[in-house]
Amino acid sequence: MSLTTSCFSEYKDIVQEGDLVLIWISRDQIKPVKMDSEASFNTRYGTFPHKDMIGKKYGSQIAIRTKGTNRFAFVHVLQPTPELWTLSLPHRTQIVYTPDSSYIMQRLNCGPNSRVIEAGTGSGSFSHAFARSVKKLFTFEFHQVRFEQAMQEFKEHGLLDENVTITHRDVCADGFTIKSGDTTSFDLTNVQNVDLNANAVFLDLPAPWEAIHHLDSVIAKGEKVGVCCFSPCIEQVDKTLESLEKNGWTNIEMVEIQGRRYESRRQMVRTLDDALERLKDIKRRKLAGMERRKRQLEGLKTEEEKQDQNNGQPVTEKTQFNPFGKGERVKEGDPNYQWKEVTKIESEIKSHTSYLTFAFKITDKTRVEESK
Amino acid sequence: MDPLTKICADQYVVMRLPSDNCKLVELKVDSSVSLGKFGAFNVNDILGYPLGTKFEICYDEDTAAEPIPTSGKFKNKIPIGRIRVLDDSTLIEEEKLNNFDSSENNQDLINMGSDIQKLTSDEIEELKKQSVSGNEIISKIIESHGNFHKKTVYSQEKYLKRKKQKFDKIFTVDYLSSSALLQYLIDKSDIQRIMDMSQESLGMLLNLANVRSNGTYLCMDETGGLLVYFLLERMFGGLNDSTDTGKIVVLHENEHPNLDLLKFSNYSEKFINEHVITVSLLEFFEPPTMEEVEQRFAPLKKEQLYELKSGKKNTYYRKLKWYHNQLEIMKVTNEIEYDALIVASTLQLTSLIPKLGEKVHGSRPIVCYSQFKETLLELSHQLYSDLRFLAPTIFETRCRPYQSIRGRLHPVMTMRGGGGYLMWCQRVLPASEPEVTNNIEVRQEEEGESSNDITKKQKLTV
Repeated sequence: MSLTTSCFSEYKDIVQEGDLVLIWISRDQIKPVKMDSEASFNTRYGTFPHKDMIGKKYGSQIAIRTKGTNRFAFVHVLQPTPELWTLSLPHRTQIVYTPDSSYIMQRLNCGPNSRVIEAGTGSGSFSHAFARSVKKLFTFEFHQVRFEQAMQEFKEHGLLDENVTITHRDVCADGFTIKSGDTTSFDLTNVQNVDLNANAVFLDLPAPWEAIHHLDSVIAKGEKVGVCCFSPCIEQVDKTLESLEKNGWTNIEMVEIQGRRYESRRQMVRTLDDALERLKDIKRRKLAGMERRKRQLEGLKTEEEKQDQNNGQPVTEKTQFNPFGKGERVKEGDPNYQWKEVTKIESEIKSHTSYLTFAFKITDKTRVEESK
Repeated sequence: MDPLTKICADQYVVMRLPSDNCKLVELKVDSSVSLGKFGAFNVNDILGYPLGTKFEICYDEDTAAEPIPTSGKFKNKIPIGRIRVLDDSTLIEEEKLNNFDSSENNQDLINMGSDIQKLTSDEIEELKKQSVSGNEIISKIIESHGNFHKKTVYSQEKYLKRKKQKFDKIFTVDYLSSSALLQYLIDKSDIQRIMDMSQESLGMLLNLANVRSNGTYLCMDETGGLLVYFLLERMFGGLNDSTDTGKIVVLHENEHPNLDLLKFSNYSEKFINEHVITVSLLEFFEPPTMEEVEQRFAPLKKEQLYELKSGKKNTYYRKLKWYHNQLEIMKVTNEIEYDALIVASTLQLTSLIPKLGEKVHGSRPIVCYSQFKETLLELSHQLYSDLRFLAPTIFETRCRPYQSIRGRLHPVMTMRGGGGYLMWCQRVLPASEPEVTNNIEVRQEEEGESSNDITKKQKLTV
């Protein structure tokens, strides 16, 4: 019932009391909620009691009828994943978005063998993605309040019981070694110094060049170790390159990731023929109108027109030909019209997140003799 | 020895050559590997070093591993050199440049074509035949270059880099990661075969699909196993003895599956058979029933089995295998609610995905890779109007590499186009049709701009 198994590492079938779920209202509104059968989830569309969600399958649509107006409203209840969590996140800092984080993980070859150092933790968005895929994550945060918030959050998400430890530390000043006396989630009973043995490093720091020289003592020996420094300014990259070279890192490459999201939309198919036809129609009606006025002035009226005048109504011929729905509110995709499927890019794009500087190092190149 | 960190025998590794090309090599004990103009070496000499190590092939007269035959059958065979571990190539590079004068600018530089080089190509060929080290050849070429000192430092560096790519006898031995296999196929210009995939698109696919070591994934892979290899590496990290329970059910449109590329992986056949189940689309959509299967075959009891003659026994075991296979097909078709649907197929997605999506557990992702945005657009419109799929979205991700030299940072001038697109959505379970009392309308409709996609969807059903 409690959150001892991480909702981020176990696939769950049914929503249970105490589960952390994500309630999807819309793409921009995804709310993390802990299930409590006494509580309710309020939206401007109505109130959703948690007990309507508990016992349902994950992914279920939850429908309610709003009081009084008897209207229909609904949400979806989802199991958190690191990517959905990133969309719902309470931002403590600028976060690393999925196009960047997924590329970094792939390029550092993250998998069940990876022992990863992350500094700083920030909003913990990337920590969740690492935690899902790697063997061990050692994350460091130097900001006291953010450290405590992140630790609390990781605890609630069950990450600390699995493969994540978080340490309060200024890694630029004090390096990465975890030792007794540290403010850390690491269980230091009977341990003096922790051998991090990291084979992948992610540095999201204002001055990564001040931390790079500390890495030698905590990265794995005798195997290839990768580092990624995440910096928004090119000046930072320059200093990072200098430090990486000085400290013996090789295969240095800086890249930038550009992620784009597209909306699927429809544009009305409006043919030239229809446009011409419409112009002709307008012209025809204009002429007809002029004729009528002329006859009116001359006192020549057809029977029909006379009748109209008897009603006191001026004659305005309404056209039947309106191929593009002008003057009407046409909804995109209206089946009475023809549509072309198109993509539309987000109205605001993340044109620059940060530069990613990768480098690799093998600390000990001595040969291991075959011992078969 | 750990094949994930050290160079081991009987392992496929990727070798990066000075020309920036990759080569996929299986390391057989007591054999040699030829890298063409970059030389040849004995496999035994590199075993045991960490993966990622850079080696140089040396041909100093007294250290050559074997004499170079000057005639006979092996006249054109590339001589095998000794191996030296390179430590810091960047330092060597810098030192070398400092020995030459350079110019502030290139105003004195006049293009004279090949006249400026006093060494003839024959002479260079002769040097190569003598198996002089790459560095020596390059030094000689620079010495004989009439205008080298008139070049700027930048252009000297570029010149040096070009020559290194040609004459250096250096190579790096790397672990065959999923990205390395992809890069190898790209270099081989197998772009079409791998559907124009890129490292960044596949990395994003793995994350969006929430791939973990303990999931059961439904997958279609038209690349001959590249996508499946990406999944396997993320799930098991090359560990043959992994105890993780994850499985991939791969659907194929041909009679037999094509996962050829997995032969390069370091997973044993046993491991792959345990974690990758292949089923044809026909078997998946029209699975056999238990009755049909049992009509054709029923397993024997142990006593009955003892009595069988050896010839019949073989037939029996073949049939037993078929039987278990049929049971497995029934299981993956009827019993599993998948933890993700991951598709890279050129079949018409609008007919494929809704049917496969039916087999996905609620709140689990569906990710579809396509080389073209248009096919995903059509798909996302279709899923949009289907209440079982939440928020289909099309993503594009591109990696832009930079020239990564201090003080001279800029995006590289040309890069590979392409890389494909991804469609991501969540499988959801629509609530049963609400009881219509009176005047049911969707409230959010009134919210105008802020009204979201689910409302629009709901409207279609109300």
